[in-house]
Amino acid sequence: MMNPQEQVLVALQDLDLMLKEATDSEAQFRKMGFDMTNIEELRKARAQLVAQLEPAHVQHYESMQKRYGRAVFPVTGDMCLGCFAAVPSVYRSTLYEDRVRMCQNCGRMLYFP
Amino acid sequence: MTGAELLRLFDPKLCLFELKATTKDEALQEIVDRVAPPGSRNHQFIHEMLRNREHLGSTGVVKGVAFPHGRSLAVSKLMVVFARSQAGVRFESMDGEPTHLFFVLLAPPQDRANQYLPALGKLVETIQDDRLRDRLMAATAFEEFAAVIREN
Repeated sequence: MMNPQEQVLVALQDLDLMLKEATDSEAQFRKMGFDMTNIEELRKARAQLVAQLEPAHVQHYESMQKRYGRAVFPVTGDMCLGCFAAVPSVYRSTLYEDRVRMCQNCGRMLYFP
Repeated sequence: MTGAELLRLFDPKLCLFELKATTKDEALQEIVDRVAPPGSRNHQFIHEMLRNREHLGSTGVVKGVAFPHGRSLAVSKLMVVFARSQAGVRFESMDGEPTHLFFVLLAPPQDRANQYLPALGKLVETIQDDRLRDRLMAATAFEEFAAVIREN
């Protein structure tokens, strides 16, 4: 179960990974023969995702991206995979609520696969 | 990366030797159906990621081969999914020809051994060989497919 804000955050994180790789490794991809011409399309898709998020979530996301390079991390075995701190078990029982859960230790935004 | 190392990234259960799809959207959907249960969040994220990658530029290169690829939070380990269409798929390939062979490379945000780009490079290099592609088109079971990848 996942709430809409978390869903958008995961999609945004995936898109940012792609944008970063397309920029950082563009020469390698081109050497392999891949077309990377429409990066503007991805930027437009990113803007559409951002528009669906609450401003406070956008601000926190950008701040985590800046600090850690990645804002959203999965939770496995009730542990944040960003800092390996335990995540309160109550988070799992309230997944249906439309709020974003953050690691109490590092502040990263959490995704419950 | 050797052929044997590359082969370890394939899961025989995920190989699709007879894609039914005729269009790019249908092909991506059918392949992702193998990777994650249809309707699940992981399915949705992987599918969206692959579609976004196609918006960046088609991963259908030339000679009937495509390499859809990308990273997603919904993927826990680096993997390659092989799919084949005898009839061919309209995949907006660079040479405008139908695509028959698909190598879908899926990676987590960070793969520990950092094998994502080397694996993609190895696949692209391997598939340049015309005879090899013919053998992949003729393979009837995973073992035949695996032998071709392992040898290269």
